[in-house]
Amino acid sequence: MEVNFRKIDIDQYDEDVLLESELYEPDPRDPAQVISDAKQKAATVRTSLAQGDIAGALSIVLEDAPYGPNVEEAKNLTLQTLVSILNSTKATEISGIVKSLSPDTQDTLMKYLYKGMAMPGWGDVSGSVLLGWHEKLTEAAGTGCIVRAMTDRRLV
Amino acid sequence: MSNTLRPYLAAVRSTLTAALTLEDFASQVVERHNKPEVEVAQSKEVLLNPLTISRNENERVLIEPSVNSIRLSIRIKQADEIEQQLCHKFTRFMMQRAESFVVLRRKPVKGYDISFLITNNHTDSMLKHKIVDFIIQFMEEVDKEISEMKLSLNARARVVAESYLAAFNS
Repeated sequence: MEVNFRKIDIDQYDEDVLLESELYEPDPRDPAQVISDAKQKAATVRTSLAQGDIAGALSIVLEDAPYGPNVEEAKNLTLQTLVSILNSTKATEISGIVKSLSPDTQDTLMKYLYKGMAMPGWGDVSGSVLLGWHEKLTEAAGTGCIVRAMTDRRLV
Repeated sequence: MSNTLRPYLAAVRSTLTAALTLEDFASQVVERHNKPEVEVAQSKEVLLNPLTISRNENERVLIEPSVNSIRLSIRIKQADEIEQQLCHKFTRFMMQRAESFVVLRRKPVKGYDISFLITNNHTDSMLKHKIVDFIIQFMEEVDKEISEMKLSLNARARVVAESYLAAFNS
């Protein structure tokens, strides 16, 4: 018999227990489709970066960003694409670009900034670039944007 | 203030301001208990996404928000072994006197050097922007303090070595 029966978390057997999956609406797309979407977007972003259209590239990559479980590969690819956009932007252009984004896109960008900062040294993530973007984005979108990044369960 | 430190502290300040929206919230698991939810972590719907702000690999801040409390952990820059020792002694000194600092936690979160736990009682009894200012000032001071201690330690070691070795000079 189990000796440490007092340590069993009996609440998990409760019938109205809250599951991780009930906290947010799952992504309607199939994981395979998400990854192919992400790859397609990465290619589109490269062409628009070559034309110097950074605001356009940002809104492409932040639109329908992958979230939820089972899509780690797509998330990493999106982060990598995003970081390449952020790194190739001039510091003086940042505030104009973040102002031109839609509120939803700003929230997604904020989520990715925090994700990037949580893994320093990964790929070509650079702390100072992300901090510069974070400052400008907070100026443009306000504290509410950070609160939404904090409360949204759809983790990117 | 150096060039990269300013955006780092600005990011911590804005994130902390955003996170410090706390309210009184009784435990949903144990009746008539009221505990910091970020510490007990028994109901996941009241825990928010933890946010990390990092300047580089060795300097980062973790902010774990919840409905009635937030936990802020700081990893202080330690370039060499002397700084590691100084940082360890310094944070230990403070954490042994955690009551005097009100918001200081007695133990740091794993992977970090010092942690603060701010609950809704603190935001009720103190001004929110003053708490934020305190944390930011702490972060500014602690780097300065440690590099100062390192300098005076090296100066002292030099004097000691000189006066000790002078005995063999005659």
